Amino acid sequence: MEGSIATVGLGLAAIGPAIAVGLIFAAYVTGVARQPEAQSRLQGIAIFGFVLAEQFFIISLALAFVFGYN
Amino acid sequence: MTLASTLAAASGPPEPGPGSFLLPPAFSIGGWEVNKPEIFLTLSAVIAFGLVYAMARKSAVVPSRLQFAGELVYDFVRNGIARDNIGSKDYAKYVPYLFSVFLFVLINNFYGVFPGIQFPSMSKFAFPVALALVTWLIYNIAGIAQHGVFGYLKHQTVPAGAKGPILIALVPLEFLSNIIVRPFTLALRLFATMFAGHLLILLFSLGAAYLVTDYANSAVGIPAGILSFVIGIGVSFLDMLIMFLQAYVFTLLTAMYIGTAISDEH
Amino acid sequence: MSALLLAAAAEEEEHNPLIPEWPEIVLALVVLGILFLLVRKFVVPAFEKAYAERTAAIEGGIEDAQQAQKEAQAALEKYTAQLAEARHEAAQIREEAKEQGAQIIVELRAQAQAEAERITSTAHAQVEAERSQVLAQLKSEVGSLATDLAGRIVGESLEDEARQKRTVERFIAELEGSAN
Repeated sequence: MEGSIATVGLGLAAIGPAIAVGLIFAAYVTGVARQPEAQSRLQGIAIFGFVLAEQFFIISLALAFVFGYN
Repeated sequence: MTLASTLAAASGPPEPGPGSFLLPPAFSIGGWEVNKPEIFLTLSAVIAFGLVYAMARKSAVVPSRLQFAGELVYDFVRNGIARDNIGSKDYAKYVPYLFSVFLFVLINNFYGVFPGIQFPSMSKFAFPVALALVTWLIYNIAGIAQHGVFGYLKHQTVPAGAKGPILIALVPLEFLSNIIVRPFTLALRLFATMFAGHLLILLFSLGAAYLVTDYANSAVGIPAGILSFVIGIGVSFLDMLIMFLQAYVFTLLTAMYIGTAISDEH
Repeated sequence: MSALLLAAAAEEEEHNPLIPEWPEIVLALVVLGILFLLVRKFVVPAFEKAYAERTAAIEGGIEDAQQAQKEAQAALEKYTAQLAEARHEAAQIREEAKEQGAQIIVELRAQAQAEAERITSTAHAQVEAERSQVLAQLKSEVGSLATDLAGRIVGESLEDEARQKRTVERFIAELEGSAN
């Protein structure tokens, strides 16, 4: 076996943001189902939340490259 | 190119990785080797301008089909992104930048699924870095122009309603997240999604080619190869969604950063 | 080809995708800058112009419609006023005609009455004249007639002239009294 243990770390780091993204869009769907007219407002907020959650995975991806290349 | 070279090597299973993004130079000018993404990045500006100029040129009251399509995109950026996030007072100034960034990122992303190009320029880290740099400069300069240097730093680092010793902890954190981390995440997000998307497509298509042609046991190899090819197509469609989403997110975040930098709250 | 691949493979070992190459950053900045300038100069004003023109066209349409409505309202008012005036005039004319008719009737009546009166008075005068004529005639005749009659009745001529005259006169006076 060869490769970088950083890949495993990356996979672990993906768990949190994946759950977070799921929760955000679940809340978005619930909100739109309850109030369809608020969809356009909620959309921006949902995307923003998605972006914030995703950011942690992106940072860990960068760190995986930084530390995995030695 | 990547496909052909990997097929030519054909000694073992293909291993798409960071090396797949190092394309051999197409030609060189004075010692600087120009490669494919750089050519297509330049071309993207031509495409973007050509398209929107053709759409906007007539600017008729009753739009033609082409102009209607252009207005759909322009409206999306102008009203959906700029006005909602910057506020109806100041947004007009930033619409040209947001619109060009949106087009630029969108076209460069869609290179990833465009037949014959199939390489998203934004998976070269330098390009998103440049865009994030420009966005970072714009929102900081806009904020400083609005509040002054000290006022802007206070605006970005002291959260509304925070008082007393908790500020000692909050101010560095806010400074870190609002001034320092933002451009990095902005660049990394665009880069990483394009990089990962391209890697996925590469993995499935190269894997399919290898399994069909070179795998020792063809009874297993050919069906597995076809399956891999089909999954690759599915992944391509998912990637197209993500490409659009990333262009949207990049523009949206730029608008949000500008909006919070120049807002009058607290 | 293989040399290239080898070079790529060699570079693969040391290349970290997170290390940006500065010429590419510069290239992206220049390209984005040019795109931005072109979009700002040509595309956004064109779209904004179309927007502004459309807004103006819609507002102009609304204004035109309002203008037309106002004009229609004015015309309606004018016509209503004219109609009312005409009606009023007609009423006036009718009134006048009625008045005139009444006046004519009154005049005619007065005329007729005058005529009637004139005729009556003429008739009266005539009758009076005739009567007085007849009376005068009668007076003269009655005298002789009466004396004749009396002479015949008495059978003789009344010798007493004076007496005779008195009787006749009394008779005439009686006659006049009964006539009156």
